[in-house]
Amino acid sequence: MEYGNNENKHEIRRDFLKKLAAAGSAALMTGQPQFVRATDDSAANPPAKADACILLWMAGGMAAPDTFDPKRYSPYKNGLEISSMLSTFPAIDTAVDNIKICEGLENIASVMDRATLIRSAVQPDLGSILHSRHQYHWHTGYVPPQTVACPHIGAWIAKVLGPRNPVIPAFINIGQRLEGVGEVEELKAFTTAGFFGSEFGPMNLPFPEEAAQSVRPPKGMDAERFSNRDKMFRRLLDKNPNRDLMSDYQQASMLRSFDNAYRLLSSKEREAFDISLEPKEVLAKYDTGRFGRGCLLARRLIEAGARFVEVTTEYVPFLYWDTHANGHETLAGLHKEMDSPIATLVRDLEERGLLDRTLIVLASEFSRDAIVEGRPGSTASDQATFKVDTVSEMKHYGLHRHFTGGTSVLMFGGGTKKGFLYGETAEERPLLAIKNPVSVMDMHATIMTAMGISPKTQYLVENRPFYVTEDGKGQAVAEVFA
Amino acid sequence: MELRPIRFRCYTEGLPNSLPPYVASMMTRLKRIVRRLTVANLLLLCMGQLTLHAQAQIDFSHEIVPILRKHCAECHSGDNRKGSFSINSRADLLKGSEDGSVVEPGKAESSRFIELLVSNVEGERMPPEGARLEKKEIELLKRWIDGGLNWEQGFVFKAPAYEPPLKPRRPELPPAINGRTHPIDRIIDQHLVSTSIARPAAISDGAFARRASLDLVGMLPESSSLDKFLLDKAPNRRASFIDQLLADDEAYAEHWLTFWNDLLRNDYGGTGFITGGRKQISGWLYNSLITNKPYDQFVRELIAPPTDESRGFIEGIKWRGEVSAGQTNEIQFAQSISQALLGINMKCASCHDSFIDRWKLDEAYGLAAIYASTELEIHRCDKPIGRKAAAKWLFPELGDIDASAKQEDRLRQLAGLMTHPENGRFARTIVNRLWHRMMGHGIVHPTDSMQTEPWSSDLLDMLASDFVEHGYDLKHTLRFIATSAAYQSQSEVLTPDAESRAYRYEGPRAKRLTAEQFVDAVWQLTEAAPTKMDATFVRGKATPQNSTSTELSAKWIWSSDGQAIAHAAGEKRTFRKRFEVPKGLGQAGAVVTCDNTFKLYLNGKKIASSENWEAPVPVRLEGLIEGMNELLVVAENLGSGPNPAGLILEAKIMGKEGSSALDKPPLNIVTDATWEWTDKLPKENGKFAKVPNDWQPAVLVAAQGVWAGVTPKLLAELNRSANISTKMVRAALLKSDPMMRALGRPNRDQIVSMRPNDLTTLEAMELENGNILANTLTVGAENLLKRSWPSQEAFTQWLYRQAFCRLPTKDEQLVARELVGDSLSARGIEDLLWVVIMQPEFQMVR
Repeated sequence: MEYGNNENKHEIRRDFLKKLAAAGSAALMTGQPQFVRATDDSAANPPAKADACILLWMAGGMAAPDTFDPKRYSPYKNGLEISSMLSTFPAIDTAVDNIKICEGLENIASVMDRATLIRSAVQPDLGSILHSRHQYHWHTGYVPPQTVACPHIGAWIAKVLGPRNPVIPAFINIGQRLEGVGEVEELKAFTTAGFFGSEFGPMNLPFPEEAAQSVRPPKGMDAERFSNRDKMFRRLLDKNPNRDLMSDYQQASMLRSFDNAYRLLSSKEREAFDISLEPKEVLAKYDTGRFGRGCLLARRLIEAGARFVEVTTEYVPFLYWDTHANGHETLAGLHKEMDSPIATLVRDLEERGLLDRTLIVLASEFSRDAIVEGRPGSTASDQATFKVDTVSEMKHYGLHRHFTGGTSVLMFGGGTKKGFLYGETAEERPLLAIKNPVSVMDMHATIMTAMGISPKTQYLVENRPFYVTEDGKGQAVAEVFA
Repeated sequence: MELRPIRFRCYTEGLPNSLPPYVASMMTRLKRIVRRLTVANLLLLCMGQLTLHAQAQIDFSHEIVPILRKHCAECHSGDNRKGSFSINSRADLLKGSEDGSVVEPGKAESSRFIELLVSNVEGERMPPEGARLEKKEIELLKRWIDGGLNWEQGFVFKAPAYEPPLKPRRPELPPAINGRTHPIDRIIDQHLVSTSIARPAAISDGAFARRASLDLVGMLPESSSLDKFLLDKAPNRRASFIDQLLADDEAYAEHWLTFWNDLLRNDYGGTGFITGGRKQISGWLYNSLITNKPYDQFVRELIAPPTDESRGFIEGIKWRGEVSAGQTNEIQFAQSISQALLGINMKCASCHDSFIDRWKLDEAYGLAAIYASTELEIHRCDKPIGRKAAAKWLFPELGDIDASAKQEDRLRQLAGLMTHPENGRFARTIVNRLWHRMMGHGIVHPTDSMQTEPWSSDLLDMLASDFVEHGYDLKHTLRFIATSAAYQSQSEVLTPDAESRAYRYEGPRAKRLTAEQFVDAVWQLTEAAPTKMDATFVRGKATPQNSTSTELSAKWIWSSDGQAIAHAAGEKRTFRKRFEVPKGLGQAGAVVTCDNTFKLYLNGKKIASSENWEAPVPVRLEGLIEGMNELLVVAENLGSGPNPAGLILEAKIMGKEGSSALDKPPLNIVTDATWEWTDKLPKENGKFAKVPNDWQPAVLVAAQGVWAGVTPKLLAELNRSANISTKMVRAALLKSDPMMRALGRPNRDQIVSMRPNDLTTLEAMELENGNILANTLTVGAENLLKRSWPSQEAFTQWLYRQAFCRLPTKDEQLVARELVGDSLSARGIEDLLWVVIMQPEFQMVR
């Protein structure tokens, strides 16, 4: 474990770089990207405040006024004018005096004194608002389409920092199915290491409770058979009459990958993937559904040395946070699903002394509003499922349109301030960020800075520079760091 | 890892460090203040930040380079050093002129450089003629000088040393050495002599068979043809083997689909399809490959599509919503044809004049304007510059586009210019790609950087000329390469430094199997390929009988007029068609759907039914007889009130295998006015209790809007149903799956011309415990166990021969025995299969 031990950390880093150097020739051969040394000090890496990152992804557009940025509360009543409906949950107190959040998030409220809450994240309008396009933007820092395949933020971190524990894949993606759900091709387009190549891509674990299976021998194969198979694989390799003719370098590189894979599949660390090993009472605090179990899995993986873990509520068109109807009732359910697991995750990491060096970021592709699409004056086309002026049924009650003018981002640990509020949105519609707007680019710069990666970090792709934040221009929000 | 300094950065770095410290600290303070402003100042804030931004940063590449290029570069860069003054590099600039220093960092006011630029004194002013620099240009230059004359490391104004020739060239062949007369060998042997590199040894017949088969048709050699080949003693056996492989049009097409789908970014699914923003060219591509369409014609059909079938490539991917100016469909067109067909990277120039090669913004837009159907505003870094683009071709030496012509004519002109016999770059690009696929490393490398000097221009030019002389025949060039001794020689043994040093030819380089090759090879060994494919074209060579249908002949029918579209919910009708099947016909595929449900009977036997009209059903017409046949459809309209109803069916009846009828057009049976209907219904078994006598002609129903979406599905299923190929389904005919994705099959959102050659840890994990492979091997082991093997040794020998084209050594036999045991079991076979296919010898083409 590297916490509090920089020397050790650098050892791992150096080891990783050495490995990369060995693997580098293949990279060059395929025209793969090369790290570009900065030409001036402005691109030097800042000292890392965090060694690991957990992204809690509220997929589908989390309505800030119904979660972390409560506005005037209008209880449900038949005849309620939608134009006067700002929040459909009352505000509650949190552990921090000047921060209130929505009812239903009481557990998170109780750990707000460990949090930095940004209420002024903003997104561009891309004309027609398509969730997957904004998700692509948020996850890669670039608005699609792009002329090269952009790497996911987790792939950037994996590429630049490498694994924390060489056994655990550096980028793990929990909770999102990439087969058989809507817009799946669009999701795949950013759930990738892009031009970095699959070494830095996500290990996808769509179902936390099945994660253990993904690091076990294939179904129906016991450990003995599995290790015997590996042994025979190596024995046969040894006996290969063409060994000498075979390109030593290519063979070595291939075998190293098999070694790595086998090491994980037979290591002690693989238990980190098995949430059933958790004590019942702990499991109970997380087990609110797939997302909650994903949070538990994330905690276990971070403990074992994962570098970047995303846990998503999962994006499926018109489900979960994609509330085009029944917003209030759906969110009441989502509050339940997220409240205890997130608070428990924060407390658990804190108890283990890991929170200081683990950055937790909760975010969504945009917010929601009851009557504004995009933001005032935008060209975004209206995607409301139904348009009514007054609430006459429960299904009308909630925030059902996409809003890009003011979104909440919640952060814990990783050197961020505790109990700190940053940015503000208007009290009356339009609920725009009126103080300290934070763009997607600057959000990325902030995360990268926390991880000790310069926002100007660049790689040469097809002979041209490609930066971790768009054109290297991202500016970290310095105020959120303690 | 080698840290290579960047040659030129596209975009500016923030330069607070190069500002005087007091300015920087003032700005930081100012920014803080501005950030704290609230509501009323929101607008001001934005403006304030913008201004600050502009103050704080000088963007050398975007702000300074264009000024210097416009006013100074003509006389003071490259070989031109008027007055001994050059701005070619920062060092040149600092060196000054014959009169001494011209500019010093941080001292704009006292610089001779600025003095001359603002001077109005005739004979002194710079530039000596033409417009003066604008005031804001002077201001930028001053700030740049005061900020320290920041320069992009490695940037020079001079044109690159190497400019690839445009015209084709037929190099003189050097004399043959040791009787190796193949033109490729004559050039390479001489090259080896001149570089003092030993000629690599020849490979064995077995290794050759495996390499040639995987390279040319993407499969392991078939057992019988391998046996025959290995027994063949004829001196030309290798050439015959190559010919035999290339003669298998279907196998060839289904292998090269992978390469072309990557290069033309075509697939059965992907981004853009969801909103109709993208079209497949799969059917056209398949047909082009299987008929070995000459490459010049192939490209003409891509650029100027004669039908919609090949239109998808130039149309690109349309994303919903707004996209940046550098990614509109017009710009995608410019980028795609440049990259895929010429190996030219137009991505930089799509946004601004490229800093890494010669291409200019105007040239990217000139190409884009050929495709644009409306006037195209030129954007520089996503901002309009107030000029419209004019259609223009990259190499006016060959002719140009008539910018005033209609779009389709412009595209035809472009197609002509691209495939112009004097456009040597066109042929060089494709032969270099083929060389790379066959030999593991391009003559120009990477293959999309055709501005790079080839390691042998004689080889590249000779291959290109030979390709053109042979009618742009792709198979010819593949054969030409494969028959050379160079191809048939030992792969280079790579040392870890192989890639950090300059490339030198030492023989072919081993290639990793593509995801598709790996999957196909595993399916070959295990017979566990799926039976259905995702491709919606008819497999195999188009015949008079069976080719991919591109439109439907069938009409929607019902019992009464289509204009009165309201049919009662629950209305049931029986439709029938009697038809004569001539002698020799018998294989038939059909597609059918009905709004809302149907049951289909053929000659009194139920063969299909569906309750989901939006998912048309492919049907093989089993039970068809020569002579009179009857199709009977019981159709029902559902719903909560009156609504449209319709039935549609199209069948293609082809000759029986081996019958002479195969040469004639198929018999098409389609729903139309010759069908009849009654409101009497048959029993569940398709027989009437009392045969109705009130059959009336069916009525054509005007196609409803809601039905339009089903038409492409109908076509796809009709083609699927008509697939009579009995060959193994290939991976390239399927959508990507997690295993193929893990093994490097790309999302085809971008053009991919070279896939990664290394196996990564996550890929290894997929192979170690991924469900897809594990299941395939489990099924495969059961399949293989069913065959009767005389002994465990016999199985191992068979497996080695199939997988590696060689027999196992004694030692290998022993290891296999230890793993499998003396008697074969499904488990033993499964484990041995895994152990074998994980060997680098299996995963590579060596």
